[in-house]
Amino acid sequence: MHSVSDPRPGRGRTAVRTARVVGLVALVALVAAFPSLAPDSFILSVGVVIASYAVLATSWNFVGGFTGYISLGHAAYSGLGGYATALLILRADVNPWLALALGGLIVAALAVPIGIASLRVRGASFVIVSIALVLILLLVFQSWGSFTGGSNGLRVPRPFGDDVLRPEQHERFFYLHAALLAVLLLCWWAIDRSRFGMGLKAIREDEDKAQSLGVPTFAYKLVVFVVSAFFTAIGGGMYALWFGYLDPIFQFSILVGSYMVLMSLLGGIRSLFGPLLGAVIVGYAMEFFKAQYGDTQAHLIAMGALLALVVLFMPDGIIPALGNLVNRFRPKAASIRELTAEELTVQREQQEVRG
Amino acid sequence: MTTTITRGLETTGLAKSFGGVHAVDNATVAFHHGKVNALIGPNGSGKTTFFNCVTGMIKPDAGSVSYRGEDITGRPPHRIARAGIGRSFQLCRVFPRMTVLENLLASVRSPTLPGWLRSARQRGDIERARELLMRVGIDHLEHAEARDLSYGQQKLLELAGVLMTDPETIMLDEPAGGVNPALLDRIANLVRALNAEGKTFLIVEHNMDLVMSLSDHVVVFDRGAPIAEGSPDEVRADPRVLEAYLGS
Ligand SMILES: Nc1ncnc2c1ncn2[C@@H]1O[C@H](COP(=O)(O)OP(=O)(O)OP(=O)(O)O)[C@@H](O)[C@H]1O
Ligand SMILES: [Mg+2]
Repeated sequence: MHSVSDPRPGRGRTAVRTARVVGLVALVALVAAFPSLAPDSFILSVGVVIASYAVLATSWNFVGGFTGYISLGHAAYSGLGGYATALLILRADVNPWLALALGGLIVAALAVPIGIASLRVRGASFVIVSIALVLILLLVFQSWGSFTGGSNGLRVPRPFGDDVLRPEQHERFFYLHAALLAVLLLCWWAIDRSRFGMGLKAIREDEDKAQSLGVPTFAYKLVVFVVSAFFTAIGGGMYALWFGYLDPIFQFSILVGSYMVLMSLLGGIRSLFGPLLGAVIVGYAMEFFKAQYGDTQAHLIAMGALLALVVLFMPDGIIPALGNLVNRFRPKAASIRELTAEELTVQREQQEVRG
Repeated sequence: MTTTITRGLETTGLAKSFGGVHAVDNATVAFHHGKVNALIGPNGSGKTTFFNCVTGMIKPDAGSVSYRGEDITGRPPHRIARAGIGRSFQLCRVFPRMTVLENLLASVRSPTLPGWLRSARQRGDIERARELLMRVGIDHLEHAEARDLSYGQQKLLELAGVLMTDPETIMLDEPAGGVNPALLDRIANLVRALNAEGKTFLIVEHNMDLVMSLSDHVVVFDRGAPIAEGSPDEVRADPRVLEAYLGS
């Protein structure tokens, strides 16, 4: 394939590439070592929660990051994924891992009509439709008690059996989440560099314009929406298998969807690792607040304040902000603003005169 | 001897109202294929709305649009783009947070599903994009973000982006609006050269000097419908045109 890597000028290019590889290796090493570094089972479980948030936020970012459509209701897909997995195991006696995959596919299939209906509207309308879906699902799963367990919740059988001890459970699920996250990041990266991704980003920038240039915007949005719902459902199912218990009020909660958005915005929705970074920060902060102040609403206030700070001071998120900071210390090519159209024309005319 | 006229862009009884405003009102027009057509008319006479109906951005209330004999009424914009009609927007629209090069690469689409996941930076596409950037004269800005360009440069970028889709017919909504005289000349020259290469133009423009010097055929709109058409000289002499411009 004749693809050309980023041809941006600059002496620091190899340095940047090396820094990237080193960073990536360090990240993988850190993730691999985390379970053995964790001092106790509780910290390990916090690690699983954060990994799960990272999976959900990265899944969310397939729609949010590429198309700029902000869904506050992605808990619909994680919740459905969790319930589909659990119900397939409980009611149809399906193998847990097969149930997880099937659950993802079922949710992906459901996401097709949902996407067709909701992607027609942009901006605030899309956000409201996404919220409405979560609320509807909450009501359905609460009131259909005979099938879903209703408000009493649903116990999910553990896939590794009860002879596997708690810390061992945590460790396995930590690695499972990390592996899933790796797959997600790889997919996001592949789309980001692809023609499909370029079309999606064009939609994010200016949807009408993209369409006028021949981008089949609706098909593109729908495909990436279904991919996002699928991964979110797998993330939800994975969490259900680990946590072992589902309650509609927590599964279909606007709060869970809001966390995905907050984490992604904080880290940066245009960056591959943005949602992951956001998940680590927000996830850690939340657990910290819970440990410090108990299960009060204090952490919500802190989250709200954090969101406000991000929107005000780092509208693109942490990773782009850091990137800009680094760029400031790098030698720069001539500023492009220096040449105005008039100067250009003058230059050109001079060339024409000479030529 | 008979001359066969290739059928290009035509509308029949096209209409679109916003509330009580008849923006386009029963417009029947046939543009000359292979030529530079101008669409002129006073402010609010429905030129942009007409553009939007033709390119599928707005669904017309009534009437039809055909291109090369094929009915394209109500088709979504990307399919009209694929039929060979490219357009610019009145208030210059580019992808602000993409680089200049990416702005052009965004126009490249793959017809097959596996092609979707191909890298967007195919050598052939990049070369073509660079040629077009050179042609409009902003190749040195390849890596700049579009939002950092001056307005004139953005207009050139928009034009290059439209050309990247290799349209047969190019619709420009006020290409001279807000542009300095030197750039205006460059745009005019580009239009002439592209027309000589076989591209049909449909240009909405208020700058009469540009219209008169550039176009082969002029259609005059007033209150949503054509009131006169012909060569620049014919239109200039038409009393109805004067009245439309002065009398409203
Ligand atoms: N989206 C809209 N909603 C309501 N009214 C509209 C809309 N678009 C256009 N109009 C109205 O339709 C009429 C035609 O507008 P249009 O923009 O098509 O005119 P125009 O010929 O392009 O004008 P100009 O030369 O100023 O660009 C105007 O009265 C305008 O106010
Ligand atoms: Mg207009």
